[in-house]
Amino acid sequence: MRLPSYSGHPRGSAFLWLLDKEWRELIASRAWWVLLFGMGPLVGVSFISAVRTYAEVSGLNGTSAGVGEALSPLIGVWAPTFSACELAAVFLLPFVAIRLVAGDRQSGALKLEIQQGMSPFARIAVKAMVLLAGWFVAMLPPLSAILLWTSYGGSVYPPELVTLAVGHLLNGGLTIGLAAAMSSLTEHPSTAAILTLSVTVGTWIVNFFGAIQGGWWERAAGYTPAAMVAEFQHGLVRLDTMLTALVLILAGLGLAAIWMRLGIDVRRRACESAGIGVLAAGSIFACTFLTPSWDTSEARSNSFPEADEEALRLIRAPLRIEAHLAPEDPRRLDLEHRALSRLRRVMPKLQVQYVSGTSIGLFEQTRAGYGEIWYDLAGRRTMSRMTTAEGVLESIYSLAGVAPPPENEEAVFRGHPLAVPPNGAGAIFYALWPGLVVVSGILARKRFK
Amino acid sequence: MLFEVKGFSKRFGPIRALSDVSFHVRAGEVLGLIGPNGAGKSTLFECLAGVLPSDSGNMRANGQPVGARERSSLLFYVPDAIAPWPAQSVRWALDFTIGFLRGRAPLREEIIDQLDLRPLLYQSIGTLSKGQRKRVLLAIGLLTRQPALLIDEPFEGLDLRQARDIAAALRAHAARGRTLFLSIHQIGAAARFCDRFVLLSSGRVCGEGTVQELAALAAAHNGARPCEDLEEVFLALT
Repeated sequence: MRLPSYSGHPRGSAFLWLLDKEWRELIASRAWWVLLFGMGPLVGVSFISAVRTYAEVSGLNGTSAGVGEALSPLIGVWAPTFSACELAAVFLLPFVAIRLVAGDRQSGALKLEIQQGMSPFARIAVKAMVLLAGWFVAMLPPLSAILLWTSYGGSVYPPELVTLAVGHLLNGGLTIGLAAAMSSLTEHPSTAAILTLSVTVGTWIVNFFGAIQGGWWERAAGYTPAAMVAEFQHGLVRLDTMLTALVLILAGLGLAAIWMRLGIDVRRRACESAGIGVLAAGSIFACTFLTPSWDTSEARSNSFPEADEEALRLIRAPLRIEAHLAPEDPRRLDLEHRALSRLRRVMPKLQVQYVSGTSIGLFEQTRAGYGEIWYDLAGRRTMSRMTTAEGVLESIYSLAGVAPPPENEEAVFRGHPLAVPPNGAGAIFYALWPGLVVVSGILARKRFK
Repeated sequence: MLFEVKGFSKRFGPIRALSDVSFHVRAGEVLGLIGPNGAGKSTLFECLAGVLPSDSGNMRANGQPVGARERSSLLFYVPDAIAPWPAQSVRWALDFTIGFLRGRAPLREEIIDQLDLRPLLYQSIGTLSKGQRKRVLLAIGLLTRQPALLIDEPFEGLDLRQARDIAAALRAHAARGRTLFLSIHQIGAAARFCDRFVLLSSGRVCGEGTVQELAALAAAHNGARPCEDLEEVFLALT
């Protein structure tokens, strides 16, 4: 961005000047250029290996083409390719955000700028806008991979790609919110970096406990950045997850704004921070009651077949499922991911209760009743041990006295096999992109000087 | 009178940095805040500018209390030993001061010449020497439009010639009605440059007035003949 200088040109607004300043600071930041540089090889490794695997299962080099029919580009190519963004959001983006937010305090510029009187919320909003723009630029390599894939003759389904990109943009926003809050709360950028990474590691611990303990840990794990990204990687857009992410981003930026006001008493800032914490917790709690979700994947990998969904919607009575499976039992994961997560989207009033005495379930196998899945529909009960989508649907239909809808062969997703090698990808991601970043970096920094 | 400061206090844990500091600032004067290192000069400036919260105290202008938000339209504070926007050029910093801090664009060229900044315009602030950085900070302060300018150690890091040139530049701005409130720990330099003084020692105001007024105060304090050497007066009062 280039604003008019004062050598005889009209003046811009204070907001635009701040935007110009933050953009310049981003461009002057080595951390951002390192992020951009690193994205090329990171995306390259992921994209090239994903396309190779996709080609092999699609029948390249004489392998069986049958498996390729089940492959969707979203799962086979785009989820791994965009996973580079997840790595960058955890390990590189925090440093860019900390540099931009904590830099003002370190250099003393904050003492000059806060005398302007602009609201700290407006100031942090400008920083967040610039950081998001910077993150979007960093996402150009995976986005350019889409063009490359199209040039190979690969199929592209825009809704699932937009969902994936939005998911990573939100994940970047979460990192920015967290890093901004930590930068404002602490005196030194290195402390902010340690705290930011600690929170990230903390979310991994929540995921780990969720996987082995179940219960509230499992529910909390559903709202961690990693879980959120995993949903977007499958083309699932959940309103509660999106709103929770937005609340967390706003809370992080709000905290950053509060602690930017150096002239306000620390106790008052602490009280305001507690207020933001309570408000955010209440909002997140309210978000968990929102059930709308959208399956944007071409393969409908988060949904039952449409005919089944219509049949399930006609069942008005509340359904309760009691599964006697331990959190780490693979059958429970199958049941949850293949059936219950899809069922919740069609039947929002579904109640699921997991019952187990241990976390791994290894020594519970011999207990009578372990592995049973009980279905209760308006007082009528039935039991099954099947954890597949078909098995679950069969139990529900039999309990509701509904005839299963006939299978629609035409509606079944057949996949888009593509048996081509990733030609040119190495040159683009390992040479062209890093070279472009280096040249742009040198030119941009020269221009500013 | 431009504004009055009453009862400013500030503690850092067990350390009392400012203790019931009160004085007044007249419009268009060059007021020196004199005190040894650690007297609380920078803390006082930061509290006045709203960069640091004070434990107590208030400001009044025209008999009306001045809230923390309104202070930004009354005074601007230039801290010592900072290097703001180190990656940006001096030229950009001056333009940013005019654009973002609502500075006075017509003074830009004049201030660049007064502070001899023209050779530095395209240099990034992070690469400047201590004295060069001080001149840039002074230029930022002089460009702002608030009636009172608080400068922490304006002559720190400057050689004799530069200090004289900058003193002349500051005087020129004061002559146009800009009120300057300067924190200076070198009492000799302050005596040559300021109209009035606020003496600060261990966070307390020991005296306020012209050299003559302070000398009379010191004489009354010690019961000796008035001596108009500011250093002697300062030692007598602290």
